[in-house]
Amino acid sequence: MSRSPISRSPRESQEPTFTRSRSHRRPVPTPPPETPRRSSLSAEMRGMRRLEQRRNMEESHYLNCKARAQNYNPPIDLRLVDYVSPYDSNLMCPICRCPFVDPVVLTECDHCFCRDCIRQCWNTNSTYNPLGPRGNCPTCRTPAKLGSRSATSKILLNIVDDLVVKCPKSDDGCKAEVRRCEVQDHVNIYCGYALVECLGENCELPVRRKDAAQGCLHYGVSCLLCRKELQKWKLEIHWRSECPDRRVHCETCKSTVFARDLDEHSKQTCPAISIPCPGKAFGCTSRSRKGQAEIHAKSCTFAKLAPIFQKQQDRLDEQEVAQREMSRKLQVLESGFGAMRDILNPPKEDTTPDRRSAGSTRPSLSPRDMQANGTTSSFIPNAQSNFDFSDPTAYADLMVSPHQPRPSASTASRQSDPTPDVPGPRLTDLPEPFSFDSDLASPAGFPPPTTDGGPYASPLHHLLSMHESLRDEMSRISTVLSELDGRHSMQSLNENLRTREEISYMGAQVAGLQRQVHWLTSAQLQRQQGRSGTPGASSSSAMADVGAGAGVEAAVSAVSTAATALTGAARVANVGASGSGNGRDGAPMRRRASEEGRTKL
Amino acid sequence: MAGMSSKRLQKELTKIQGTLPPGITLVSAPDLREWQMDIAILDNPIYPPSDHYRLRFQFSQSYPIEAPEVVFMAIPSNPERKIPLHPHIYSNGIICLDLLDSQGWSPVHNVESICISIQSMLAGNTKAEREFDTWLVWVVMAN
Repeated sequence: MSRSPISRSPRESQEPTFTRSRSHRRPVPTPPPETPRRSSLSAEMRGMRRLEQRRNMEESHYLNCKARAQNYNPPIDLRLVDYVSPYDSNLMCPICRCPFVDPVVLTECDHCFCRDCIRQCWNTNSTYNPLGPRGNCPTCRTPAKLGSRSATSKILLNIVDDLVVKCPKSDDGCKAEVRRCEVQDHVNIYCGYALVECLGENCELPVRRKDAAQGCLHYGVSCLLCRKELQKWKLEIHWRSECPDRRVHCETCKSTVFARDLDEHSKQTCPAISIPCPGKAFGCTSRSRKGQAEIHAKSCTFAKLAPIFQKQQDRLDEQEVAQREMSRKLQVLESGFGAMRDILNPPKEDTTPDRRSAGSTRPSLSPRDMQANGTTSSFIPNAQSNFDFSDPTAYADLMVSPHQPRPSASTASRQSDPTPDVPGPRLTDLPEPFSFDSDLASPAGFPPPTTDGGPYASPLHHLLSMHESLRDEMSRISTVLSELDGRHSMQSLNENLRTREEISYMGAQVAGLQRQVHWLTSAQLQRQQGRSGTPGASSSSAMADVGAGAGVEAAVSAVSTAATALTGAARVANVGASGSGNGRDGAPMRRRASEEGRTKL
Repeated sequence: MAGMSSKRLQKELTKIQGTLPPGITLVSAPDLREWQMDIAILDNPIYPPSDHYRLRFQFSQSYPIEAPEVVFMAIPSNPERKIPLHPHIYSNGIICLDLLDSQGWSPVHNVESICISIQSMLAGNTKAEREFDTWLVWVVMAN
């Protein structure tokens, strides 16, 4: 661009006419600035000329833009290419750590850098300098400026230009390795993977040089593996580096895996990587390859114990959770219990006005008392303040209250004597966890139901908790009752069984006796009949009959008495069984009765 | 610029993974944005050689032209890392060193040379104290 006015100016001078210069505006135009100055053109002509200049400038700008847009291969930054040949560290720019690219030597210190590197370095911390770029040498901090191009040795340039680099399109598949000075030409002219404009009609889209001969490839296709929609010319790139279903080669274990799995493979499943021992959490520090890790796990104590440890840990955690729950329950129960005790020993008087005075009269409240005042609203009367209260009527009230522990004690004696002289009736049963202050404080001597600001902040909650604890007590009593009932019924059942046994035994005895008596009477009757069958013996047989009848009657009466005795014994036994309280007394009584029955028989 | 930064860091990383001066170890370099190094001071009784100090490097996109952000890290445990006592190291780990400042920085420096500089700064220290006042004053002024 900058050269065009100079080269064109002689020709322009030969073509002074305005129309001619307009005709060839296609090649880079810019009419010469000399013409308007030399000729005496009118103002109108000058305006036309300016317009013409303006148009030309716009057109050239458009052409430049288009050329730039169609240049699909931007200039290569030689600092970003991969070098194939090894190079000496002395050929390395200290800023970019690459072999020098367009090396420049500083004037003062002769340190050498890439031109772009030193420009970037100086641009950031110095403003525009009319004397050209200058600054401190990055290596030795000497103030310096860029040396001329001739100062850089041609030998150095040749050495760095001879280094062999990979084509920048090597990621796309180009295998070319060329000298560094030729790499731009390679990309611009030869590289099959560089982009060129599509040869198809009415298509200006880019395509790779090697595919350009296949016609226009700008139509949609979908990948066979991952079903992604894309244009045909991009398919190869997609398969090479983008498709998640492509096969890639694992470098450590020499196997092929899907690209989508490569991340997981290289971290976990690859047999060549080392994995920690399963007992790592419990102290084993060994790491080994996957194959050997299993062998190690068989011999490692930690690995063997790891599941047990894990189970133990789980159980410990469980226990901890359960214990926390239990302790919470315990706290609730304790508070309920405390509330119950408060109810059993109700406060004697409401001391809300007195407590207000207590704050002023008592200089030092123990923290426990502070809590009692704060957390429990009116259940804990503050007797200390009552005593300190000098009102004689209040004192008299205290004197007449039924549970007043120390009606005669004076303030001074109480403060000197920590133990109550006349404790309340229930005070002796208590475990006495109280401090000196709380001993003095509450007449019944009960601590607040909850310590450290428990869940019962209001009297309603208190009542509810009391209700709960009462209900618990009720259920406990009812279980005890039912247990007792069961025991008693078992007892009576046992006794009944024994009695029934004895009764049946006695019945059998009686039946045997009856049989004997029957046999005796029948035998005697037969004898009498045999005697009456002979004449002259009827009177005697009648006499004997009378005697026998008397004997039989005696036997029958004896049996009947035995039966009554038996029934009596049974009744006694029943009484003994039914009387739950004196069951023990009933048993010997019944035994005595049955002995009686037996002896009677 | 970004390409140059990552290219250079990649080269530095390959070099660091090879050999390093005594007392300097690479802890982690998960990406080219943040690295962690451990340094130990070998010949100063203030800092026992068994104590290692963790340095965190954060690189911007324009790394070799601009200085990286280097601070000491405090790690409570496993492994424990403290912030060394030095008049120019604040309790939050910020290091007052001209090399890390935009004026003193030079693109010729690299991670290894920064580590060596900090190591020598600590090795030459004679006062085991902290001038925390300065940064407290900053904080107070900022608020």
